[in-house]
Amino acid sequence: MNLLYTLPMIASLIGALLCLVRIEKFEEVISIIVSSSTAIFSILILFLPNVSNSFLFLDGISKIMILIISFVYTMTVIFSTTFLKYIDEPLFQKRFYYLLLNLFAFSMFFSVSVNNLGLVWVGIEGTTVTSALLVAVENDESSIEATWRYIIIVSSGLVISFISNIFIYAATGTLDISKLLTTNSFSGLLSLGSMMAIIGYGTKAGIFPMHTWLPDVHGKAPAPVSAIFSSVLLPVALYAIIRIMQFTPALYVKNFTLVLGFLTVIIAASLMAVQTNYKRLFAYSTMENMGMALIGISLGGYAFVGVFVLIISHAFAKSSTFFLSGNLLSRYKTLKIDEVTGVAKRMPSTAYTLLFDAMAITGMPPFGTFFGELLIILVLLSILPIEWTLLLVGFLALAFISMNFKVGKMIFSESDGKKMDRKRVGTIVPIIGTLFSLATIFFIPFISKVIK
Amino acid sequence: MNDFFMLIGFSEILIVILMQWEVYVTKIVKTFSVGSYIISVFLFYLSFVQHSYLVLALAILTAAIRGFFIPNFILRRLARDPWRERESKPTMGTAFSIIISLVIAIFAYVLYDMAMLNFVGILSGAIPIALVFQGAFLIMSRKNTFIQLIGYMVMENAAFLFTGYLFPDLPFTVEAGTVLDLIGIVMISGIIMRMRENSPKKSDGFDELRG
Repeated sequence: MNLLYTLPMIASLIGALLCLVRIEKFEEVISIIVSSSTAIFSILILFLPNVSNSFLFLDGISKIMILIISFVYTMTVIFSTTFLKYIDEPLFQKRFYYLLLNLFAFSMFFSVSVNNLGLVWVGIEGTTVTSALLVAVENDESSIEATWRYIIIVSSGLVISFISNIFIYAATGTLDISKLLTTNSFSGLLSLGSMMAIIGYGTKAGIFPMHTWLPDVHGKAPAPVSAIFSSVLLPVALYAIIRIMQFTPALYVKNFTLVLGFLTVIIAASLMAVQTNYKRLFAYSTMENMGMALIGISLGGYAFVGVFVLIISHAFAKSSTFFLSGNLLSRYKTLKIDEVTGVAKRMPSTAYTLLFDAMAITGMPPFGTFFGELLIILVLLSILPIEWTLLLVGFLALAFISMNFKVGKMIFSESDGKKMDRKRVGTIVPIIGTLFSLATIFFIPFISKVIK
Repeated sequence: MNDFFMLIGFSEILIVILMQWEVYVTKIVKTFSVGSYIISVFLFYLSFVQHSYLVLALAILTAAIRGFFIPNFILRRLARDPWRERESKPTMGTAFSIIISLVIAIFAYVLYDMAMLNFVGILSGAIPIALVFQGAFLIMSRKNTFIQLIGYMVMENAAFLFTGYLFPDLPFTVEAGTVLDLIGIVMISGIIMRMRENSPKKSDGFDELRG
C-alpha cells in the first residue's frame, strides 16, 4: 500500500535512468510516458488515505503538491520536445536534459513526501543540484553566470535553513514532521529556528530580501525550465515554510512571515512597473504571487485555502506564460518588450493565450488566482487595519496594470513589418495550462476539503 | 570539552581570516582542507567522549569528503588551468577584508549574545555563527568562483561544527544526506566553473543580471 505513495518518485527516477539509453528520441518518449504516469499516480494518491510512517508523510497538503508537480512536469516535458529544437549549440545532449529534468522532478516529489524536516532540506538542496545545469542549457556566458549565482545564493540561503533544522531539533527533540505537528512544546529556540527556516527556504522561494537569483535565472533559463521553476520549484520551497508554520505557535513568527510577504509583494510589484524584459517581468510576477502565498500562510484559516488555490492556479497559468515566452523568443529573437510587436497578427494562438495567462497570473476573475488572493485579502482585512489591506491591494493593482499593459502592448501593437522565420511552436500545452488555471475555481471546495 | 570546542572554533575563525589574506586559490583550498581536518579531529574526540558510532562515522565522512575529496577535486581542476590560480581582482584589498573579518567576528558575537544566547543557552555557540558570517563574507569579497565555493563550504562547515558539538544525536540520515548534497553541489559547481571560463558563446546579457 505504501508503495503506491512512492510511485511518482519511483517513476521519475526510472525515467531518469532510462534516459541514459542511447536510442534516437527514446529519452523524449520515455520522459513523456513517465511524467504522464506520475500525473495519473498523483490523481490516484489524492483519493488514498493520508499516510504517516517512518519515511513518508502524505496529508492533503503533500498530495496537492504532488499533483501540481506531476502536471507541470508533464507539460514541461511535452513542451520541451518542441522547444529544444530552437536552442543552438546546447550545453549537452538532449538525453542529459531529460535525465536532469526527471531527476529534478524526483527531488521535488521526494521533498514533499518525506516525514523528516532534515530530509526535506536534503530534497530541496537536491533540487538545486539537479536543476542548476538545466538553467545553463543555452550555453552562453550570461546563462552560465546566472547559473553560478543561483547555486551560490540558494545554497548559502539553505545553510541558514540547515541551522534552523538544528535549532528545531534542539527545541523539540525530533525532526519528524508527524511528531512536530502533534508536539506542544513551545520555546524561544523553536521560534528562532522557524524564523531562520523562513529566511533560508524563502531564498529558494524568491522571498525578499533573498530573491535576487530569481529574476536572473528566470530571465536566462530556457522557457520550459523557467516554467517548471516558477510553477513548482518555488512552491516546493514554500511547502517547507508551510510545514514549519504549522507547528510554530508564536505570534511574532507569524508576524515576521507576514511582513516578509508584504515586502515581497511591494518590491516585486514596484519592479514589475520598470521591467523592459518580458521574462524578467514574468519572474517578478512569480515573486509577487509567492509573496501573496506567504501572507496567506502567515494568516492561516481560510487564507490557507486561498494559498493553495493561488498556488495551483498560478502554477498552470505561469507555466503557460513561460512556455509562450519561449515561443516569442524563438520567433522574435529578443527578450525586450519594446522589440516584440504585433504578436496578435504574427502568432494569434500564442498572443491570445498569453493575454489570458497575463490576466490569470495577476489575479483577474474568473481565474483561480483571483479567488485565492480574495480569500487571503478577506482574512487580512479581518485581522489588520484596513489601511494595510488597501496598501497591499494598491500594489497588487500596480502589478496587474504593469503586466497587462506590457503584455497588451506586445500583442496589440502594430507589427514593424520585419520578416521572421515561421517556426513551429508549441501552443497546445500552454492552452491546456491556461484552461487548467481557469478550471481551478471549480475545485475550490474540493481543495478546501483535501487540505483539512 | 567546552574548552576544546572553543579552541577548535577559534582556530576555524583564524583559518578563515588566513583565507582572506591569501590571493592564491590553491593555498585557500589547502587551508580549507586543514580546517575540515580540524573539525573531523574534534568529531573523533567527541565520538570517544560520547561513545557514539554515528559521530565517529560523521568524523570519517568529514575527513574523507570535506578534508580530502572536495579540496582534491578543486585542486585537480586548478591544475588543468594554472593561470586561474591567482585571483587578480578581489572586490576589496587584503588589509581591508581582514579588518572587516574581525569586525564580523565581533558583530556575530554581539548578535548572538543579544538575539540567540537566551534561546540556545551555550555561550560558545557564537563561534559557528561567526563562521557562517565569515563564509558569507568570503563569498561577497571575492569574484573567483573557486573561492566563492570555498566560502559556501566554510558556511557548511560552521553548521556541521554546530551540529557536532551542540546536537550530536541529530539523525544520521540527515547528516549523511547533507554530505551527499555537498558532493553534488561541488561537482555541479566544478562543471559550471569550467564552463564559465570556456563559454563558447559570448553574450551581451550581463547588464540584465542585476537581481
